[in-house]
Amino acid sequence: MTIVTQDDLAAYLVRLVAWGERFAITFAGVDDELTLGREPGDALVIDLDGRLPHAPRITAATISIFERWTAQPKRGLVRTEYAYELRDPVFDYRRALHYHDEDHFVRQFQVATHEHCEATMGVATCGRYFGYPVRDGIDGLSRLYDVWLRAAKPDCSELRCLS
Amino acid sequence: MDRLYYTPREVAEILSISDDKVRELVNAGDLPGIRVSPRITRIPIAAFDLWRAGFVPRQRQVVIKPAARRVVVGDGEDRPTAARRVATG
Repeated sequence: MTIVTQDDLAAYLVRLVAWGERFAITFAGVDDELTLGREPGDALVIDLDGRLPHAPRITAATISIFERWTAQPKRGLVRTEYAYELRDPVFDYRRALHYHDEDHFVRQFQVATHEHCEATMGVATCGRYFGYPVRDGIDGLSRLYDVWLRAAKPDCSELRCLS
Repeated sequence: MDRLYYTPREVAEILSISDDKVRELVNAGDLPGIRVSPRITRIPIAAFDLWRAGFVPRQRQVVIKPAARRVVVGDGEDRPTAARRVATG
């Protein structure tokens, strides 16, 4: 995913948070302002943690979004890393969609995006699973939200284990 | 645990409109819904309730500040070492 300017990235962040809020996600630390983090080296990051809607006395599932955006010549800002994560303490599972260490993953697995699936949180029967590229943060949130909507442990065996 | 979503048919009954109209609203982004596939759409109950209550996310400004923490994506999983990354990069 490529975005040309910081203003475009800011508008994207606003859309992303609004999408989550329309789906009853409560983001931590989000008030009147949203923050793009600037890292040493000038990468910009989106770093959000949210709680999914939950009934009283039930621990909320959490969802997190992390994207690292790097300025590249003639291309503008490019999303060079991402991690979208869902942890559901009620059904005790974790799902994640990751993109990082692109050269390594493409060389080793012929795919850069990979998924994590722990049917019991902290217990991985496969280190990583094949993943389809995540178009943007809303796509990432949608996929994980749909996993949560099923209100059941995920069947990790449905995924293709890479290693 | 109770179900967390409605089908388009259930929402259609609640709103007294057609299933197709529900899908149209979802596809247009007017009604919050997850389009799982061309044939499957789910409308989260919590989102539907907010929508019916007229919820509109507030307008916000975006500021750029030093990142609050340094995140290493994939930390904790088996990642290539720095040396290998240089060698394969």
